[in-house]
Amino acid sequence: MDILITAVLIAFLFALLASALWIGLALLGVAWIGMELFTSRPVGDAMAVTIWGSSSSWTLTALPLFLWMGEILFRTRLSEDMFRGLAPWLQKIPGRLLHTNIIGCTIFAAVSGSSAATCATIGKMTLPELGRRGYPEDMTIGTLAGAGTLGLLIPPSIIMIVYGVTAEVSITKLFIAGVLPGLLLAGLFMGYTVIWSLLNPGRIPPPDAPMTFLQKVSTSRHLIGPVALIALVLGSIYVGIATATEAAALGVVGSLALSWMQGSMSRKVFAESLMGATRLYCMIALILAGAAFLTLSMGYIGLPRHLAEFITGLGLAPFWLLFALMVFFIVLGCFLDGISMVVLTMGVILPTIQKAGIDLVWFGIFIVLVVEMAQITPPVGFNLFVLQGMTKKQIPWIARVTMPLFFLMVAAVGLLYFFPAIVTWLPSRM
Amino acid sequence: MRKALDTLYDAAAWAAAFFMVGVLVMVLASVVGRLAGFNLRGSDAYAGYSMAAAAFLALAHTLKRGEHIRVNLFLERFGPKVTHALELWSHAAGTFFCAVLAVFCARLVWQSWTFNDVSQGNDATPLWIPQIAMAAGAIVLFVAMADDFVLHLRRRHPHATKKAETEMKHME
Repeated sequence: MDILITAVLIAFLFALLASALWIGLALLGVAWIGMELFTSRPVGDAMAVTIWGSSSSWTLTALPLFLWMGEILFRTRLSEDMFRGLAPWLQKIPGRLLHTNIIGCTIFAAVSGSSAATCATIGKMTLPELGRRGYPEDMTIGTLAGAGTLGLLIPPSIIMIVYGVTAEVSITKLFIAGVLPGLLLAGLFMGYTVIWSLLNPGRIPPPDAPMTFLQKVSTSRHLIGPVALIALVLGSIYVGIATATEAAALGVVGSLALSWMQGSMSRKVFAESLMGATRLYCMIALILAGAAFLTLSMGYIGLPRHLAEFITGLGLAPFWLLFALMVFFIVLGCFLDGISMVVLTMGVILPTIQKAGIDLVWFGIFIVLVVEMAQITPPVGFNLFVLQGMTKKQIPWIARVTMPLFFLMVAAVGLLYFFPAIVTWLPSRM
Repeated sequence: MRKALDTLYDAAAWAAAFFMVGVLVMVLASVVGRLAGFNLRGSDAYAGYSMAAAAFLALAHTLKRGEHIRVNLFLERFGPKVTHALELWSHAAGTFFCAVLAVFCARLVWQSWTFNDVSQGNDATPLWIPQIAMAAGAIVLFVAMADDFVLHLRRRHPHATKKAETEMKHME
């Protein structure tokens, strides 16, 4: 009987979502009905208290601040600086300036919490510059789409904050745990670019006019800004003098200062970044509010517990459990965004993961990687939308040129599974 | 009427932006306080309240700008008739859920006030004060949603939708 009702609720949720009701409100509606059916507790009061508790929780305050930081940086000359600082050093590596996409995204990811913002900020500069020099379009766009996803994996990361709050895992630990997997993935992308260029030597245009070593060093001064910001944000977390929230506040101040020093700050830019961040946070907050109430309601129904018992009863090896989850998330990612996916499923899945004896920090990194894959698979993938907007190419074409990088991400998940120390080593040394 | 409503949404949005700055100021205050050796009582809690206020007060404005996300897989696929029907349905359901949310958020303020509910943290704030922002934001959202519903009924497109691309780029 319970299972039947649960199935009906899930079907109802998907119907509401598909009918274009706003995601946060759909979660709230299903939670309401589920709770009415299963408890005699006054539902409305429980809803208001739960939503208040989750929306005013201190751990979450890192989220709006990191969003604001991203909005400020998006409006600076950061992408231009990064391209100029990186380009001279990459002329000799096979693939040449294609690597500005990957390294640029890696660096920007360390100050930005979102992969679409990373993709847009770096692409703003690399797409026209590489196009002008005659780099093959498919590789330029493919590497950008792939490397853009590093925005979520390399801290700070919006998804990690959401996961950390939902799973009650230390956000600081998650951030630090994401560093090595992020660098690993960047390494895989660069390795792929190198091999591809060696196999297709005719398709890479000649290098720019050579520079002397001193000239190169001098153009690298453009990198000082972003690197200082990274040191401020990640450094203060790693050394342990700041929590994730405090690092986010320092990041906002740092990016305001950077933007001011570049001369790109004005009252208008300040107001735009502030309003942009407020709306973006508000959009996420509505989803989080709905999800908090849904988690409460699911708890009453006992769905997470039943599911955990059911799956544990199957005696599935962790490998197959994770494999099934990966497939499930990629399918879900076909029509939901990353944050909705995480908040919608974590409340239900976490007890199962704990019962299977999987480390929650490791699982967080796993989820982030899988969500990233969903970001570059059609029909709904935010990075694809961003690139469609920037290049005017069709989604299927972009998805096709991104495919090889998608498989590299699958490979990265495999590496993390067989060598979990890639995730756990750094946080254990803090 | 149109003008009054738009002013209401904008005013709430500016208040939200104010509280967004409030989050930053509160967190910075606690950092500075710790470095300088004084303890600002309750700054953590105030940062949380500001965050909640920022989120709720911006709800209507964000809705009006078309930036709350929804699954538009079916919304745009089957021609204007289906789109119109789906818009009517989702706005009707949205208005209902927002009404429920607004009623119970307001009730929470009233309950916190009558039961003298005080924050568990060391700020000891009477909770009805920060909760007012939540209730106010939920009420304005309800108004905005009902407003959009009526506009759709009259077949007027409620928001000058800036197209997806420009917005998506900021989304995670």
